[in-house]
Amino acid sequence: MVKAGLRNSYLLVLFLLFSYAMNKAVIMGNEIIAKVIDTMLSGQQVVFSAYMLPLLWIAAIGTAAAYFVSISGSHYSAAVQRDVRESLGAHLMKLPFSYFDQKGTGSIITRLISDISEMGRFFSEILPQLLTDIVVLAVSTGYVVRMDANLILVLFVSYPIMLIAANMLSKKLAELTRKLRTHMDTRTSLAYDAVQGIVVGRSYNLYEPQKKKIYEVIDKMVEQGCRSTRISSLSWVVKITLTNIPVIICYLFALRETMQSRITVGEMLAFTVILDRVLNPIGNIVFCLNDIRETGVSIKRIQEIFSQPEEGTGGGIRRIPASDRAVPAIEWRDVDFHYDSAKEHQVLNRMSFTIETGEQTAFAGGSGEGKTTIFKLFCGFYQRQGGQYLLFGHPFEEWSLEAARSCFSEVSQNVFLFPGTIRQNVACGKENASDEEVMEACKNANIHDFIMSLPQGYDTPVGERGVKLSGGQRQRVSIARAFLKDAPILLLDEPTASVDVESEQKIQEAIERVSAGRTVIVIAHRLSTIQNSKRIYVVSGGRIAEAGTHQELSEKQGIYAEMYGKELTVNV
Amino acid sequence: MFKSLFRFMKLMGSRLPIYLAAIVLSTFGAGLRRVANSYLIKNIVTAAQTRNTENIIPLALGNFAVFLFGLFLWRTGIIRYNIEGKTAAGKVEKLVFSKAMRLPMSYYEQNHSSGFMSRLVFDTQKAADIYTSRLRRLLDAMISVVIYLVPMLYFSWELTLCLVALCILDASINILFARPLKTAGRKLSDANNRVTEKLTSILSGMDLIKIFPVGASLSREYDQASGEYFRIQKRSNRLSAGTESLGCLFDLTGPLAFLGLGIWFVSMGKIGLGELSALYSLYGSTRDSFWGIGMYLPQMMNCIGNAEKIFEFLDQEEEPEQWPFSAEPDDRAEADVMLSVRDVDFAYTGGRKVLERFSMDVKKGSFTAITGESGSGKSTLAKLLLGFYPLEHGSISVNGKPYSDITLKEVREQIAYVPQEPYLYETTIAENIAYGRQGADREEIIKAAKAANAHDFIMKLPDGYDTLLGERGNTLSGGERQRIAIARAIIRNTPVILMDEATSALDNESETLVQESIKALRSGRTIIMIAHRPSSIAAADAVVQVGR
Repeated sequence: MVKAGLRNSYLLVLFLLFSYAMNKAVIMGNEIIAKVIDTMLSGQQVVFSAYMLPLLWIAAIGTAAAYFVSISGSHYSAAVQRDVRESLGAHLMKLPFSYFDQKGTGSIITRLISDISEMGRFFSEILPQLLTDIVVLAVSTGYVVRMDANLILVLFVSYPIMLIAANMLSKKLAELTRKLRTHMDTRTSLAYDAVQGIVVGRSYNLYEPQKKKIYEVIDKMVEQGCRSTRISSLSWVVKITLTNIPVIICYLFALRETMQSRITVGEMLAFTVILDRVLNPIGNIVFCLNDIRETGVSIKRIQEIFSQPEEGTGGGIRRIPASDRAVPAIEWRDVDFHYDSAKEHQVLNRMSFTIETGEQTAFAGGSGEGKTTIFKLFCGFYQRQGGQYLLFGHPFEEWSLEAARSCFSEVSQNVFLFPGTIRQNVACGKENASDEEVMEACKNANIHDFIMSLPQGYDTPVGERGVKLSGGQRQRVSIARAFLKDAPILLLDEPTASVDVESEQKIQEAIERVSAGRTVIVIAHRLSTIQNSKRIYVVSGGRIAEAGTHQELSEKQGIYAEMYGKELTVNV
Repeated sequence: MFKSLFRFMKLMGSRLPIYLAAIVLSTFGAGLRRVANSYLIKNIVTAAQTRNTENIIPLALGNFAVFLFGLFLWRTGIIRYNIEGKTAAGKVEKLVFSKAMRLPMSYYEQNHSSGFMSRLVFDTQKAADIYTSRLRRLLDAMISVVIYLVPMLYFSWELTLCLVALCILDASINILFARPLKTAGRKLSDANNRVTEKLTSILSGMDLIKIFPVGASLSREYDQASGEYFRIQKRSNRLSAGTESLGCLFDLTGPLAFLGLGIWFVSMGKIGLGELSALYSLYGSTRDSFWGIGMYLPQMMNCIGNAEKIFEFLDQEEEPEQWPFSAEPDDRAEADVMLSVRDVDFAYTGGRKVLERFSMDVKKGSFTAITGESGSGKSTLAKLLLGFYPLEHGSISVNGKPYSDITLKEVREQIAYVPQEPYLYETTIAENIAYGRQGADREEIIKAAKAANAHDFIMKLPDGYDTLLGERGNTLSGGERQRIAIARAIIRNTPVILMDEATSALDNESETLVQESIKALRSGRTIIMIAHRPSSIAAADAVVQVGR
């Protein structure tokens, strides 16, 4: 954030230069007016046209300067906002998976929209205002000092009192703002959640309870807002009173100076005009604290995302080593794992296994035994807590994360479709995939005919969640993606689960095609899929409980035989 | 434009008069404060000129007292104003949210959820600025003008009128900027919507981004949207810079005009120097207020642009209480039929016909399996049974009551639905289950979980039923999520349970468990399952084939 602020600081420098020019113009204008009034008071003839030209010049310069002051200030803010938004986006992409488990989308969205524009306020209003005030103060003070140095002393008396009051009030305000922002997060998350789950919400008539929940949060937001208005209005009262008392004193003081003929009446008039220009910035500079602390809350919240460590790029291996059948694709030794959010729940407990290159291996076991977690660890979405993980014979840590991930393609039970066309959704499997390649992949995935039957073909948009495609169709889209990616290892997570018999055949065919020549690791519950596997690992209690071929395991009378015994009899 | 503003203000309802009164009070207080100040200047300058300092201290104190009183009025007004304004802002958010929950299902399938998120977070915030700052600033400027003009006219009406003419010229030039600024405001809102859309894509597709090379292109799209937002911001900045520099022009030429006129009036003996200087101090404030009108009016237009965006959203048609069904209700329905579908035609907007003259009867207390190949319309049938879409032709009735006679709410009270991808809300497991029936207590929740064979795995979690589910429910497996969704359907205790491929993500072991619980559920309930496995179809009493 600071970097973005500095990178665009040339705009800020321009801003300062122009605002100096603008203020200088205003002061010069005032000097001329004071002179005119003096001349008038001394009873001399005022030659108006003599002042006209310089004043017009000053006005022209001032106007131009004002334009550039505004432009440079607001462009500065917009540029910083853009930079922060973009670097935050890039940063989010590199955050480890676990971050998104803890922070909901709602909270991240509020930060990226609302907090960034709040931060923009710091750069567009508060910081320039502060700098302008300092410039104005310096320029005007210089002017008053030249007139009468004593006046300045009176001006600065009120300063310390203001500072103390402002400091106290702004701390309270910041606390309220922080609470308000937290409520805003909750509101956004609740709303997002409710809209994402609309199918359930609608069919269960959840409108009322969800409304009640979110209304409560909105009411709390309003309450925080009202509380902070009391404090901020109080701070205004303090500010205005504290700047006004010195004004009166100054006037009276100036009156005395005039009576003693130390300054002229004209100078006194000019002084009353300039006084506002000196006092206002003093108040502004001090009470700027309020705003700084308030936007500080947003800036801190953005900083919080920035301070999350990125995933890291991993080690130096950037290329998949030449495929050597003798080296196992994956080897695990005593791998331990638990999610950060549930430390007591050990998901994997000293798990060891070997997956041979070019073979099909299946993981079987009950629901919730951690089979999907194993896949996530393969791809490096999460860090294991202990044990060794070798990918093509090299420790996972020595791989660059990108290269390691390019070894895998996945067909999973929850197929996510980006909002866009079918073509785009398939093409994301490979960078710069051509239309022919996309079509080829779709043909291989047995989805081409279906796509062509749609009125818009490959350009058919799929909704946010790809709602318009059935489960089986979406799965085939994901198989097409896997074709395009062409990775040596294929991860299949319950691939034939949610489809009917005919689709299952099509999918089976597609999978056989995509499996050819690859190492296939499958989480499957269908006997047919498992039977085709060279080796089966049965996961139970965070360990590999049984291992072997279908034949061996069926005869063993263990977990496997228990699980698939029923289906065996059905199929037979 | 004013119509939108008017409508926006009407949202405040009966609080509007109080709100406006608070604005007037605060403005009046602030004006009083400044007038007191200008009198003070007048008194002092007159004293300096006449060299008579008698009474100056009591006069100054008197002015200060008025000043404090003005300040007090201002604060009273401003607090009330803010409370009313913020409450109204909350009200708008509530409206947007309620709307977002009541749109027809087709809306959610055709629109990205970011549209709504950006309405809720960005547009309401900007539009609510009308309540919490823009309108007051504008009114304040207008009222102040009046307040300052009174003493000014009193000091010298001729000079004042000349000055007012100048100010009006100034303000009217500014107002020219109003329309372009409003357009910029709307464009900014659209651009923001696009940024949000790209962002939500990134966030929800995180797993894919990590494994497919799609990150770079998404990132590029996001940066493009962000850059577009920046460009529009810049354009609107240029417009506001224009208004501000014009303000400065008048700020600088104003004194010139003032001097010229003032000197003329003084030389004519129409006005004293004391009055002139007091007038000058008030003229400054008046000019500021005029300038404020010129500046705040365009800003206000900008916010009205956002308010219009909200109205567009709010004006969309909602899902009605019940659909108007085209065909005559079927009165042939027999007493033992729970669900009857007659001659139904259905196509998604702009899509091919998914169902054509489709009919089926589901017997009370039966276990009916619905099969058909992928894309044949099984899931669509489920959605129609839930009343998510209006039928093009035909009729559906539940328990002898045609959908055309009962509200959608009543339809959904008959059917507990377990969708293909069970959605779990970001809250505790207990609450997720309790969503099935409002006010369900812990005992009932546990009972339902046991019936869905979910109790054991829930108890194994460190926080048990109070485990908070993340947005992705990442720590739960597909089968576990499914069983929670089934528990939610069980606790609902409806005559019909509708499962869309509900057992798909269950492994053999848990499927057996679920099948058992379904058997236990069957007493008195009708179960419809969109099923594919031979095992689940085998258990069904009846099989309905969809498509061909």
